[in-house]
Amino acid sequence: MTERRRNLYILLFVAGLAIASIVIAATNAPRRGLDLRGGVELVYQAKATTNAPVITPDTLDRTIAIMRKRVDPTGTLEPEIQTAGNEQISIALPGFQNPAQAQRLVGKTARLYFYDWEPNVIGPDGNPAPEDPAVTGVETGGAGNPLSGIPLFDAVQRAAKRKPVTYPNRSHNETFYLVDEKNKKVVAGPQGLEEDLFSDETAEAAKQRSTFKVVKVPNGTTILQAEAPAAKSGADEGRAPKRQDKWYVLQDQVSLQGADIKDPATTTDPNTSELAVSFDFTSKGRKIWEETTKRIAERGQEQLIGGTGVQHFAIALDNQLISVPQIDPQDNPNGISGANGSQITGGFTRASATELADLLRTGALPVELKLISTSQVTATLGQTALDQALVAGLAGFAVVALFLLIFYRVLGVLAISGLILYSLFFYAIVVLIPITLTLPGIAGLILTIGVAADANIVIFERIKEELRSGRSTSAAIRAGYKRGLTAIVDANVVTFVVAFILFTLATANVKAFAFVLGVGTLVSFFTAVVYTQALLGVLGRSKVITGRAAFGAGVKEKAPRRFDFMGKSKIFFSLSGVILIVGAFAIGTQGIPLGIDFKSGTRITTGVEKPATEQSVRDFMASQGYPDAKIQKISNEELGAQAFQIAVPSLQPEKVQSVRAALDKEYGVGDTFSNTSVGPTFGTQIANTAIIAIISSLLVISAYIALRFEWKYAVPVLIALTHDILIVGGVYAAIGSEVSSATVAALLTILGYSLYDTIIVFDRIRENVPRMPRATYSQIVNQSMSEVLTRSLATSFCTLLPVTALYAFGGETLRDFALALIIGTFSGAYSSIFIAGPVLVHWKEREKIWKRRAVAVAKSHGGVIPAYADAPKAALVDTSPTGPVRLSSDQAEQVSDEEFQAMVRDLGVETATERKPKAAARAAAAPAREAEDVDPNDPASVRKAHARRRREQRRSRSEGDS
Amino acid sequence: MAILAWVMMGLAIWHFMIWLPDRHVGGIVGSFLVAGAGGALGGLAINGFTVPGEADLGLAVALEGIPGAIIALAIGYAIGVFRENAEAARATPGALKS
Repeated sequence: MTERRRNLYILLFVAGLAIASIVIAATNAPRRGLDLRGGVELVYQAKATTNAPVITPDTLDRTIAIMRKRVDPTGTLEPEIQTAGNEQISIALPGFQNPAQAQRLVGKTARLYFYDWEPNVIGPDGNPAPEDPAVTGVETGGAGNPLSGIPLFDAVQRAAKRKPVTYPNRSHNETFYLVDEKNKKVVAGPQGLEEDLFSDETAEAAKQRSTFKVVKVPNGTTILQAEAPAAKSGADEGRAPKRQDKWYVLQDQVSLQGADIKDPATTTDPNTSELAVSFDFTSKGRKIWEETTKRIAERGQEQLIGGTGVQHFAIALDNQLISVPQIDPQDNPNGISGANGSQITGGFTRASATELADLLRTGALPVELKLISTSQVTATLGQTALDQALVAGLAGFAVVALFLLIFYRVLGVLAISGLILYSLFFYAIVVLIPITLTLPGIAGLILTIGVAADANIVIFERIKEELRSGRSTSAAIRAGYKRGLTAIVDANVVTFVVAFILFTLATANVKAFAFVLGVGTLVSFFTAVVYTQALLGVLGRSKVITGRAAFGAGVKEKAPRRFDFMGKSKIFFSLSGVILIVGAFAIGTQGIPLGIDFKSGTRITTGVEKPATEQSVRDFMASQGYPDAKIQKISNEELGAQAFQIAVPSLQPEKVQSVRAALDKEYGVGDTFSNTSVGPTFGTQIANTAIIAIISSLLVISAYIALRFEWKYAVPVLIALTHDILIVGGVYAAIGSEVSSATVAALLTILGYSLYDTIIVFDRIRENVPRMPRATYSQIVNQSMSEVLTRSLATSFCTLLPVTALYAFGGETLRDFALALIIGTFSGAYSSIFIAGPVLVHWKEREKIWKRRAVAVAKSHGGVIPAYADAPKAALVDTSPTGPVRLSSDQAEQVSDEEFQAMVRDLGVETATERKPKAAARAAAAPAREAEDVDPNDPASVRKAHARRRREQRRSRSEGDS
Repeated sequence: MAILAWVMMGLAIWHFMIWLPDRHVGGIVGSFLVAGAGGALGGLAINGFTVPGEADLGLAVALEGIPGAIIALAIGYAIGVFRENAEAARATPGALKS
């Protein structure tokens, strides 16, 4: 297949893809994340239970399936429920505006247990007291009644005295409570693990007060809250009655479980008109039910003499008594048949009865869930954020397109067509998979526009270089793609690997960003390299692009830029040192302001309608029980004229809702209230993950550079990247901008991009080393840098353009994110040129070969090493050519006029005085022979002489060896 | 945060090593590692091997990274010079005799 035909096929394929993408884009809408359409997100930590002692992927999948049934019984709400790591579940509920309600719906374990009441209720002496009506509650009008219960503090003390017993059917293992002995209050619990008792608030309080103690309730004992008072008449639509601080201590011997019932439904008791939840039994459940009630009835009959003999059984849901109905042995001497099922009554309202029926229908969660993070975004804010992100995206695209057009003219037009195709393909992939678009995801997308353009810049600069060195247009295009491809592949692989690491380790939002970045890198490689190469291949002979001016290459050959990068490196190093000193002072004095992602806490962002100041809001929060709340007035158009950010220790959703209600009453918050809560566990995990992500990214990048170049090239890369990270950290500390997990993601991404520049420089150094056989390493690096400086600066500038658009138009949420990208881009470009290069020179020049060369060059130049190698006569050739000269028919591989001139210079100065006698004689004769034969103005003559010279060198070497 | 400030100060000082002849043990990379580690260890030593908390941050914390980094770099440089001299002496045994 000819090249032209292959290119045409590629273009046809691209056209087909474009049509398909247009159809897909026109017929599908992208799925928007919560930050773009509003809703509630909850993150839970799964905890093992007696039923599921180990958290496995299967356990999490079953939990997710149950949660999905609970929140989306009709399958129309599109909740996003997914595992995050090995033990976490993240639930995004679009449209929800009440985190507390969402938590009740999905986070409730909903484990239903039936207990035989009398033999299990524990009295004050720590033993069951079945016949003591004061203990069982019969004396006060009903078992399980709040009147007979005791405060939780007393219940915990009573339970703690019990000895551990392991019942085969138990609801849980040992549990822990945090109690305040002075005020006789239970502060936290029950928890399966002692460390889970300590949230932000409790940990702080426990530190300050010595009266806080952890109390263990042993295995075999459970504490259940007394029934709720009966619902008042007409309370059908109202709130469920509030439970009192009344509790019972029971032996944890479960008779029947939620898994033994089926078909729960809301119903009304025909006798009392009370709302109830009816259910049937499974065959196993029915058998157990009949046996249990029979046993209870028989026990009641034994007590008929001298009493009523009435016995009870308790129905409990997640540590709360729902109902404790009685069994009259006279009415049911053989127990109760389970054939017609049963029903639970317990002061239900319509809503609470329906909720319980739904929970029982979907079943209990196999694991316990601990809420570790919540966030809530209002729909209005989400829409505004989307609009801003779209404006930022369009602006980013426009400035990159303009830059390409001005800098590369016709090639720029082709690159823009590649960018349009990239955007189209990417959008089609987003709606097809579908990828949930979040704000960080859109930021990733905007950023990849820069990557796609960078790939074009690398190639176009190479084409311009080839054109300037005298190649024809078509040969320059081929050579440009061929020689530029290595750097592009290297940079794309690094970006992709960073994206993969982020995707593997990060939390949901950053994961979306990483996914977009990874997919974007692949798609951009296709459009920026494969598509534009095919297009240029087809157009290569057309009049439109045959002129140099069409490429922006200029009619005249530009003089190479001669800047002594290595000579001036001391100044640039010192400049970096000063910046780092400033950064160290900033970090040492203020620290890096870590966001709640890392430190945990609740952050509320809200607009207020009534006049307010920071102090008035602070006073108000203090009156609500948050004296340490940090209040900051912020400027945010979407939130109205007055907006505040309130930071308090991590709060549970119910508390957040109560704060919202209070703020609304005092100031009027409307629908601008949004909040994010991160628990300490999650915060620590995010911080650890960020550190792991940074370290693993650095290691993987180094390993890749070591593989592609040599290991000594990896060290300067690591140092330059460390330099970038520290500078970004220092700037954040100096300006007091908050660092979030998204900032870390941005930082890692920009590290990948800054490598683009470093790889471009290193690639050229690698290319120039064999081509400059007598130059010192610093001269080679100087030469390489001067050759690729424009390219390096152009790629950095091109990345900076969309990032700046993101900063300017992306709105509040993306501003911090974009800031990290901007600082990182500057620092990355700087460190690629002024840190990585000089470190490489110092590091390599410790090798003997380069030391010798430096000594020789210095000797021949009066003790000074010139910045560039080409002007003076060089000394000995102490490196050997790596292989025979290949005369390729491929125009791209043939040397250009400029390279011929370089060879001429090389050949005119070579000597071989240090060869061994026999070889030396021949070698010594060579320059003379060359001087006679070679016509410096005839490329063919030069090439011939060069090949002859190499043959002779090889022969000399083999003779010397033998 | 204090450790980060110390390491950063150490690495900042490392940047100025470029003004000296490259004789540090391990070269520029060796001095990079030594500077960072020296800054951190020096800071720890000054604070009795405890890390100041966020409430204790201040100008002094950043300065505490300086002595450790300088001492470590000086030791590394001295070792480098010593090794270089020893190597030179081995390469020219005649010079030793004289």
